[in-house]
Amino acid sequence: MTRILKAESAAYAYEPGKDVFADVSLSIQAGEIVGLVGPNGSGKSTLLRVLCGLLRPRAGRVTLDGKTLSSYSGSERARVLAFLPQAVNPAFALSVFEVVCLGRYPHIGAFGALRPRDKEIAERCIRDTEVESLRSRDFLTLSGGERQRVLLASILAQEPNILLLDEPTSSLDIHHQIEIFSLLERLAHEGYGIVVVTHDLNLAAQFCGRLLLLADNHRMLAAGAPDTVLTEDLLSRAYASQIRVSENPVTGAPLIWAEPPRGTNGTKRT
Amino acid sequence: MVRRVRIPFVLAFVALSLATTLLSLLIGTETLSLGQAWQEWRAGLSYADAPVLGILVQQRLPRTLAALIVGSGLALAGCAFQAMLRNPLAEPYTLGVASAGACGAWTATVLIAGFGLPRAILGISPIQAFAFLFAELDILIVYLLAARKERISPSVLLLGGVTMGMLANGGILFMRYLADPERVVMMDRWLMGGVDVLGYAPIKTLVIGVIPCMLILLAQAAKYDQLGFGAEIAAGRGINVKMLQVTTFFVGSLLTAIVVSVVGTIGFVGLVVPHAVRSVTGSRHRLLMPMSVLVGGGFLCFCDIIARKILPGETPIGIVTTLFGGPFFLYLLMNRRFTDWET
Repeated sequence: MTRILKAESAAYAYEPGKDVFADVSLSIQAGEIVGLVGPNGSGKSTLLRVLCGLLRPRAGRVTLDGKTLSSYSGSERARVLAFLPQAVNPAFALSVFEVVCLGRYPHIGAFGALRPRDKEIAERCIRDTEVESLRSRDFLTLSGGERQRVLLASILAQEPNILLLDEPTSSLDIHHQIEIFSLLERLAHEGYGIVVVTHDLNLAAQFCGRLLLLADNHRMLAAGAPDTVLTEDLLSRAYASQIRVSENPVTGAPLIWAEPPRGTNGTKRT
Repeated sequence: MVRRVRIPFVLAFVALSLATTLLSLLIGTETLSLGQAWQEWRAGLSYADAPVLGILVQQRLPRTLAALIVGSGLALAGCAFQAMLRNPLAEPYTLGVASAGACGAWTATVLIAGFGLPRAILGISPIQAFAFLFAELDILIVYLLAARKERISPSVLLLGGVTMGMLANGGILFMRYLADPERVVMMDRWLMGGVDVLGYAPIKTLVIGVIPCMLILLAQAAKYDQLGFGAEIAAGRGINVKMLQVTTFFVGSLLTAIVVSVVGTIGFVGLVVPHAVRSVTGSRHRLLMPMSVLVGGGFLCFCDIIARKILPGETPIGIVTTLFGGPFFLYLLMNRRFTDWET
């Protein structure tokens, strides 16, 4: 069964009168990667939390299969929507396998124990994210790229339909960024709906089917296919600086770079 | 290396805890013989005519029960606070509950002496009542400081608790200054903590007050695993993080306030026991918490044996737990058991 997550004219404010974003409409379906992009402070992460039901919209609504998200119980919600925050700092030592098993919580609850089936699912998620070799390692000793894969495995263990990821590649090198996005692409292909917050416009251009561009005035500036959103005009307005867009010579995707502010010399001195 | 569950050690902890509990019934000023107690019971003697059975039931049993409940309760509250605050140095007294309780006890003492406050109101000693009320007041103030819309701020909770604790210590010094010297000695003794309870009335208070709190904390074990891994990812999995924090905070503090008001301040149990247990069970709270209950009870029975048999006279148990717990905690530190907290 495909699940549809929808935001309709959603707005959120941490303090009354100060909207972080307003009038955002968006729907996510199986098999697509939707990127949330925009400058710092434009409300991408907050929007992601509203989409996964951790925050309630101030105005508008968020629905899952037509029903308001807040009418679902926490566990019901977590069995469809899986949320991966930007920073995960465990306070206790756990093995990779234990970390992945934590993802079974929405299915077994506060009083249930791990059944053989839960362990099988955990093992499958470990295989899906190709972290078999790390299975008995201490999570805290893993590298950034390994951690992200294991965290993905642990939210996949929730058996969700839609993944909501907050900057999953922000601390990774260029190789691991591509690896994670390729993994996301494969997961989308397998039928997951994916929403990903990212600062990397080039990766977004390359991997996301649709983009939503938020701007500093807390409105949705544009939404649609990458080549309609990632234009010099829209990006320059969103980031309030000169953004250039050309074409990636290999993939044909938009290639984005920023001009240095006036009065500085962006070229390398020798 | 991830700490696997070390089963032989876990079993050794279980055996040791049960053994010290049993021993604390038999060892004391006089060593009792279980066989003789059994014979006296078979003979149907009244406690007055049965020297061994009498001591066992009327003196040793309530004392052992008090040590068991207090030790297990403090250890469990320590586990819960460490998970809630995501901090290795958290313990039941971190949030100032013990100091506030002691301040309350001192205030009551001064009021009894200075204003003729009766020594018991409705059968409750004002010293215990004030200890409890002050501890609850501390909890409320610290909570109001730290409560936020979405969750409680662990750092404000810690800072607020430490500040309240210092404030309460200031209050204690002031009350000591006001009190007459004879009472100072008496109160100092009370504050050092003791499970040398008289009869079963304090046990009733402990059972009614502490056991339900322990059951509520134990029921959160799976949620503490999630919270320990990450507060936001736990929220994403459907856990009401604020509810979990509020429950832990109030139930754990209530437990501690009751314990302090009945037996005084017995330190280090809530800090050392969870750490020692974690080193053999790993971090899964499903095993860590019940084991801490068992080991906490056994540890306090052990300290009580030391207090009444090995050290001179009736040494207050709070001194023993600190003299044993402190070096043991240093040993844990030296073994770098905290590498997993350095994030």
